[in-house]
Amino acid sequence: MRTLRRLAIPVLTLALTAGLVFWAFPDGLSPARTLGVVLGWAGCGLMLASLLLMLREPRLTAWLGGLEWMYQWHHWCGMAAYVLLLAHPLALAGDNLATAPALAWATISPFNEGWPVWSGWLALMALMLGLAATFARRLSYRARRGLHAALGVGVLLGLMHLVLLGIDEPVAPILAVAAALLAWRGIRHDWGVGARPYVVGSVQAMGTDIVEIALTPLADPIDVTPGQFVLVAFSGGPGFRGCGEFHPFTVSAIDGSQVIRVAVKALGDCTRHIQSVRPGVAARVQGAYGSFLAGPLSAPQFWVAGGIGITPFLALLRAGPRMVPTTLCYLYRPEADAPFVQELTELAQADPKLSLHVIATGNQPPELTSWLPAAERLAGRECYLCGPPAMIANLRRVLRRGGVAPREIHFESFELL
Amino acid sequence: MMRYLYLSTTAAFWLLVAALWAGSVWHPGAAEATGAASARVISAAELATHATPENCWMAIRGSVYDLTDYLPDHPSRPSIIEPWCGKEATNAYNTKTRGRAHTQAADDLLAQYRIGTFAPATP
Repeated sequence: MRTLRRLAIPVLTLALTAGLVFWAFPDGLSPARTLGVVLGWAGCGLMLASLLLMLREPRLTAWLGGLEWMYQWHHWCGMAAYVLLLAHPLALAGDNLATAPALAWATISPFNEGWPVWSGWLALMALMLGLAATFARRLSYRARRGLHAALGVGVLLGLMHLVLLGIDEPVAPILAVAAALLAWRGIRHDWGVGARPYVVGSVQAMGTDIVEIALTPLADPIDVTPGQFVLVAFSGGPGFRGCGEFHPFTVSAIDGSQVIRVAVKALGDCTRHIQSVRPGVAARVQGAYGSFLAGPLSAPQFWVAGGIGITPFLALLRAGPRMVPTTLCYLYRPEADAPFVQELTELAQADPKLSLHVIATGNQPPELTSWLPAAERLAGRECYLCGPPAMIANLRRVLRRGGVAPREIHFESFELL
Repeated sequence: MMRYLYLSTTAAFWLLVAALWAGSVWHPGAAEATGAASARVISAAELATHATPENCWMAIRGSVYDLTDYLPDHPSRPSIIEPWCGKEATNAYNTKTRGRAHTQAADDLLAQYRIGTFAPATP
């Protein structure tokens, strides 16, 4: 079932792109002009798929293989569409290049054309700006997110370019769908109209720059299980004014009264500000997302957590004793960055199926071979990894080299811009 | 990976755009093509005999153009341009896209298809 769901996005993307190209495939044009038309429509199809994949309705994410999978494809489709749309005008110009270079330039020149061509150029500029902001790591998260919205403007301008060329069928309905998807994302998700209201019940400092926040629902609570994550935006309240941005946090506990707890580490401006949040502050919660730790319970499990990546495992351990033999390796750098160690030790002492290994790595990347079990001891185990991307990449490589099948390696990382 | 792809394709795009512009400056080419016009005079009656997409002439701004080969390349859908085959189409040519005229690039392109001078019927 999981494999089928992960196939949904590739199939949908292919159908959308191939369908548009098939519908618009021109007859009797020169090869260069045919290529230009095909590139434009293929880019349009990929861009539409990318728009659909930026929605984060929990039910939709479950159908399409999870939010992380959707966002990976959102990025791939958007990038592929950008490359094809860059090539589109060049191929059209190439049609006249051999016989009349001046005409080739005049085909795309913004200097002696009208709105049909200007809108195409503006669309490409907006896509260029939006992607530049996405990749500009020096910009703040808020600035990057704001400029990322230029991509939506680029999509609408690109479709207007087609309408101005006189190709209003089927572009008008596509334009309406694209505008609806952008509005849906903006209103329901970025403005948080679709989020559930919560209030901060308690805040506990868990170490340097880490707090664990309990959130109490004010209306229907979200449906969440251990291992999932939620998107939370903190608003105003007593002595605190939140930054209002939705950030992903893995749930670290689900209490019986439907109170959820999230651990927040100061990794940026907003999450640093959240360290000073107080009880009574309003919050909005979207989700829950993800299926990490939702795999089969038939086999022994091997868990590796790096730093704040302990939270999904903690949520599951807090929910009750393990049903299968489980080894948890918890890696941390300085002592102050190892929250929950005391509680984990107590949980391990009370649970005969849980084996806990707490490993201080210092400030250097961890030496995996010094503590990782031998390959024969990992055989037949389901491996779950959560932590910094570099740690996960190294672990996956070492585990695969040690003979662990890729289907037995599960990991989670956040790349949600 | 994505960042590298973005930077490399964007740089390649601007290099090729610059190359197209430079090519137009150093090897115009279009002027030669536009100079090959015929001095033949074509009446409205003769024009009207070329009124199908397979044999499409149009009179625009006093000249007659054989646009049969060009029709498949026209960006808009066929139903916009094909009804003008065999007719005087200056007004349509001057008022595309909600009243705007065609561009200089279109004028340059059109010149390549000129086959004669239009002689409208006298009253």
